[in-house]
Amino acid sequence: MNEAAPHVAVEDLLLDGRLRLEDLVDREGLDELCKSFVALFGIPVRIYSSDGGLLADASGDQHEICAYVNTLAAGRRACAGTVGAVKARDPSDTGDVVHPCFTGAQYRILALDYDGRRVGRLIVGPFLPPQVTEAPATLRAIDPGLDGDRAQALLLKMPRAKAQTVTRIAAHLKGALDLILFSGHKSFVTSKIHVASVRESYRQLEDKAARLQEAFDRLKELDHLKSNFLATVSHELRTPLTSIIGYSEMLAEGLAGEMTPDQLGFVKTIQEKGGQLLSLIMSLLDLGKLESGTLRLAARTVTVESVLNEVLSTLTPTARKKGVKLVLDLGTNIADVRGDPERLRQVFLNLVENAIKFTPPDGSITLRSRMAGDGPGEEDGLTLLAPTRSRVEIRVLDTGIGIPVRERTRVFDAFYQVDSSSTREYGGTGLGLSIVRRLVEEHGGTIAIEDNEPQGTVFVVSLPALVDAPQAS
Amino acid sequence: MQINFGGREIALKLVYYGPALSGKTTNLRSLHELTSDKSRGRLMTLETKDDRTLFFDMLPLTLRAESDRPGGGMSMRIKIFTVPGQVLHASTRRLVLQGADGVAFIADSQICETEHNAASFLDLRQNLKDLGLNLKALPLVIQFNKRDLEKVRSDDELGQLASKGREPVFKASAVHGKGVIETFFGLLHLTWSKLDGEHQLAKMLGIDPRALLPMAARQLGLQQDVTTLLSSCVGGRLDRHAQVAP
Repeated sequence: MNEAAPHVAVEDLLLDGRLRLEDLVDREGLDELCKSFVALFGIPVRIYSSDGGLLADASGDQHEICAYVNTLAAGRRACAGTVGAVKARDPSDTGDVVHPCFTGAQYRILALDYDGRRVGRLIVGPFLPPQVTEAPATLRAIDPGLDGDRAQALLLKMPRAKAQTVTRIAAHLKGALDLILFSGHKSFVTSKIHVASVRESYRQLEDKAARLQEAFDRLKELDHLKSNFLATVSHELRTPLTSIIGYSEMLAEGLAGEMTPDQLGFVKTIQEKGGQLLSLIMSLLDLGKLESGTLRLAARTVTVESVLNEVLSTLTPTARKKGVKLVLDLGTNIADVRGDPERLRQVFLNLVENAIKFTPPDGSITLRSRMAGDGPGEEDGLTLLAPTRSRVEIRVLDTGIGIPVRERTRVFDAFYQVDSSSTREYGGTGLGLSIVRRLVEEHGGTIAIEDNEPQGTVFVVSLPALVDAPQAS
Repeated sequence: MQINFGGREIALKLVYYGPALSGKTTNLRSLHELTSDKSRGRLMTLETKDDRTLFFDMLPLTLRAESDRPGGGMSMRIKIFTVPGQVLHASTRRLVLQGADGVAFIADSQICETEHNAASFLDLRQNLKDLGLNLKALPLVIQFNKRDLEKVRSDDELGQLASKGREPVFKASAVHGKGVIETFFGLLHLTWSKLDGEHQLAKMLGIDPRALLPMAARQLGLQQDVTTLLSSCVGGRLDRHAQVAP
C-alpha cells in the first residue's frame, strides 16, 4: 500500500539559508555578552543583523575625544559621517576589514558567519592603534575651533589595542556567538522534528484507523447478510418440514389405513426426528432474528411466578423420566417484569432443559426467584435512584457437572460447546444458551453463571423489575 | 537535490541508513574528525539517549568549485544525515529519508546481526516506496562496519556476498576511522555521477566532471587520492550511474 509522503522535509526544519541571527539569539542576553566584553577590554562592540538591524550595542560611555569633537559643528558632521560609513561597510569576502576614523582611531568590521552563510556583522571600536602617538592632521584640521593640544590629550586617553589583540577578542566573541547560535539552532530543530515526528506518526495512525474502520464496516455488512441468509434459509426449510411432520402424523393416526407395528414405529421415528429438526430450525430462525434485530417482543406485564410454574409443569415429565427432582422456590413480594411471556418461558425452558441434561439421576434442579436491589453505595442520590434499579433475579440451580470458570463467558457464544469432540456425551447444537442470552438482553436483563456448592451450576437471570406497582383496577 | 541559482549553491542530501547500533552516528563522527574544519560544519546530534539517536545527526560539508570563471564558481553543500535505527522511530526515518540523493547502508558485520541488517534493508525499501522513490534509481552503497570485532563474517564470505549484489560494498571499522572516508567517497561518486548525468552539474559548477572527487578530497584535507579510496570497494558496480552520463 502506497502511503502519502510526509508533509515536511527535514531540510525545511533546518531552515537552510533562512536562519536569522535575530530569531535564534535572545537580544538581552546578546547585549549582556557584548557588555561583558566591553568591561573586559574597554573597547565598544556592536552587533548588526545581516539586513543591517542593530541587535546589540555595548558602546559604553563615549570616549572623551569623541565627546569633545561632537561639541564642534564640523566635528559633529565628520563624526556622523564616519559612524554612518562604518555601519554601512561590508566586511567583503575576507570577512574582516579595518575602517579608519579621522581622529586616528580605528574600527574593525567583522563578518558573523553561521553554517557557511553570513548572518550579521560585528563592529569593534573605536580604539587607538599603538602606533598613534599624537593627534593626526586629519583631526587637527577638522574644525577651525578645535584646540589641538586638548584634542591630543583626550585622544591619547582612548583605549589602545593592537590589531592582533582585536583579532583575538573578535575571534573569542565570534566563537561564543557561534556556540549560542548552534545551540539555539539545535534546540529549534529538535523541537521541530519532535512535532514533525509526532504528526507523521499521527498521520500514519489516522490512515490505519481509516482502513480498519473500512474493514469493520464491511464485516458488519457481511454479518448482516449472514443473519438475513440464516433467517431466509430457516424459513424455507421449515415449510417442507411442516408437511413431512404433518403427513407422518396423519399416517401414525391411521388416516391412510392401519399400519403394522413396525411401520408405525418407523413413522413415529420420522415424526420425532422431524420435530427435533424443526426445533433446531426454529432456534436458527430465532438467532437470525435476534442478530439482525428483527425479533419483535410482544411486551406486556408478566408475573414471574406464572412463567416459572408453566416451565415446571412442562418439564416435570422429562425430569421424572431421568430421576431428577424439580423444585420451585418462590420468594415473597416478587415484582412483575415487563416482557414477552412466550419468550421468557423459552428462556427458562431452555435453562431447565439444559440443567436436566447435565444433571445425573437423583440430582435436583431448583428454580428460585428473589428481589435484588443495589447495595449501599457512594453514588450521589442513591436514595432516589435505588428504587428504579430493583431487579428480579431468577436462579436455575442444578447439581450437575458444572461449567469450568474459563468457559463461563464462552458458553453464550453461538454454536459453542464446552466439549466439542465428535464423541461428546451430551448432544445439542450449541445454540440454546446463545439464544437465551440474547433474549434476556432484549428484555434489558443480564445472565451470568455462578458455582453451586458443592457441585453444579447456577444460571442467574436478572430482569429489571417493574417499578410502578400494578394498578388495582 | 536543491539548486539555488541566486545563492550560487547546489545542495545534496546523503542519508546513512541501517539497523540500530550499526554505527551510523560513529561514521559521521569519524568523518567529522577526519576532515578539515574549513569544509565541514559542526556535527549536529539531536537528542540521544543511552548512546542511541532519537531523531537524527547531521554533518554539513561545503565544497567550493575551484573555477576560473569570473565571479568564481558555485558551491556545493553536502548534508549527511543519519536515521534513528530503532524500529519504533519509523516516522522519523521516513522524514529524514525524504528527498535523499544517495544512501549509505551501514550494516553490522557480526553474524548475529544478519537478520537485523536484512530487516532494516527491507524497511528502507518500503520507506522509499512509500515516499515514491525507486531503490533501483537511488545511488546506494553498503558498508559492512565493525570489521574489528570477533564473530564477524569473514572477508572471503563478504567478498562472495558482495560479488552477487549490484551495490558497491565497503568494509569499515568506523570507531577506528577505517573505511569511513572510502564509503563516503563511494557514495559521493555514485550520487555525483547520477546527478551530473541528469542535470549537468559539472557545467553548472564550471568544473570538469572528473574533477569533483579530487577537488572534494583536496578541500576536505584528505591525504589519500580518490582512485585509492574507490579501489577499496569490493563487489558491486561503482560505475553504474556513471554510464548514464551523456
